Amino acid sequence: MTPMEIIVELGQALLLIIISPLMYGIVSKFKALMQRRVGSSIFQPYRDLRKLFSRNEVTSRDCSWLFRGIPYVCMASMIILALVVPFFFTGVLAPFGDLITVVYIFTLYRFSMVLGGLEGGSTFGGMGSSREMMMSVLIEPALLLSIATIAVMSGAGTDMDSISEAIVKMGVAALSPALVLAAASFLITLLAENARIPFDNPTTHLELTMVHEAMILEYSGRGLAMMELSSMMRLTIFMAMMGSLFLPWGIAYDLEPASLLLSLAISLVKMLFMAFVLALAESILCKTRLFKTPNLLTVSFMLSLLAMISLYIL
Amino acid sequence: MDSVIIGNLIDLCAVLMLLTSVMAVATTRMRPLIQLFSLQSIFLALVAFIIAWSSGSHHIYIMCVLTIVLKVIAMPKMLTYIMSRIHVDREVELSIGIVGSLLLAGLMIILSYYITEPLISSVETVERNCIALSCSMLLIGLLMMCTRRKAITETVGLLMMENGLFLGALALSHGMPLIVELSAFFDVMVAIIIIGIFAYRINKSFNSVETSFLRRVKE
Repeated sequence: MTPMEIIVELGQALLLIIISPLMYGIVSKFKALMQRRVGSSIFQPYRDLRKLFSRNEVTSRDCSWLFRGIPYVCMASMIILALVVPFFFTGVLAPFGDLITVVYIFTLYRFSMVLGGLEGGSTFGGMGSSREMMMSVLIEPALLLSIATIAVMSGAGTDMDSISEAIVKMGVAALSPALVLAAASFLITLLAENARIPFDNPTTHLELTMVHEAMILEYSGRGLAMMELSSMMRLTIFMAMMGSLFLPWGIAYDLEPASLLLSLAISLVKMLFMAFVLALAESILCKTRLFKTPNLLTVSFMLSLLAMISLYIL
Repeated sequence: MDSVIIGNLIDLCAVLMLLTSVMAVATTRMRPLIQLFSLQSIFLALVAFIIAWSSGSHHIYIMCVLTIVLKVIAMPKMLTYIMSRIHVDREVELSIGIVGSLLLAGLMIILSYYITEPLISSVETVERNCIALSCSMLLIGLLMMCTRRKAITETVGLLMMENGLFLGALALSHGMPLIVELSAFFDVMVAIIIIGIFAYRINKSFNSVETSFLRRVKE
């Protein structure tokens, strides 16, 4: 690895972390505009995070060290993923980014968040945790299978960076049914995993419906800031994965400054487009009942299964 | 290279047709179901257009236009009209749950890939992947007709089967002769009208369009 490569790769991970509150703000701004509201500024998440970081952390008397440790685990797992997932350059700083590692780091994040929800000792936390585990059982196979399909299609092993590079080099021939089906499946798991609207409403604190919010209800101050920031990072990392694995055209695979700049611009446009799609989906869909969410997740699993089958048979 | 792109485009549209079929299995509201059928017919028209454009056979253009006029516009309109006449909007109970029928649909797809494999290996056209896809669309349409209980959703199942059949015919033989296609369109049109009248009459006699009530009809 040359120093130039290290700088670019570190820069892409840092950029992914820095723009994550901005992406969150952009999604809510798009959503507000679609509903004919003015909406808060796209920089509002930064202000919220700064305010939360400067506050004291208040925890319940019954919590143990586990409760205080969990925000750090969540932050750390998302920072690792930011180093593993390619964004505008196919090389990554941590080349151990196996697809199974990636899927299970997401699972580690969810597992520790569930533990935090239970540890808080409130009834809502336990309720949110049990709901999250129910969805998690259904999300995991679909997510793993859709990324695995892409890996098999590219024929370049299981590393995130080499998959992305191989698909870019395949050119138009990569635009096959398998890619489309896997992308559709991944989009549904993106919505489910990030607690977006057909599965969970990220803006509500209504007892009957909340899943993700119920788990972080007991956190405050710095702990809450870290939980919020890590969930924003999770959304951004998912969008970056969507951009670099399922629509990878335009991503740079050599270190020329011109192609790097072009790829950076294309990647940012892709992120904006995905934020628009996300906001559109949230504006036209309504939140489904909790016991109907398995239907949609089964559709997602079916799609990725179909993608995998079509690779072997077509 | 050109044929690779055309093959990919045709595959893409055919897969999107299958996708709408799978989504229709998971939909219980009738209005979205009819919209899904309309969307599927748009993709069918696209496949017809691409095949007509790449092979240069002009009568497929006629079929493309007919598909758009009848299946994208007229039939969904008619179904919506029947639906508003008999005031039903959602299917409350299926004979198998949604998750079960989705998994069954997956099985159907695997089955159809399995049974069409000898056919696929002998055909060497660009559209050979469409055969398995059209077969699975047929089977999924049949599944929908079996699991649904309301007359209108069963009709949509029939129409989706029919779309699969057209896709298969297009892919295997670059379209049937024009006269056969015209009569097939006419048959479907008449079937829709008859089913519409039947649904209305069933609703009048039983105050519901549940086809399971028809078992009680005895002379």
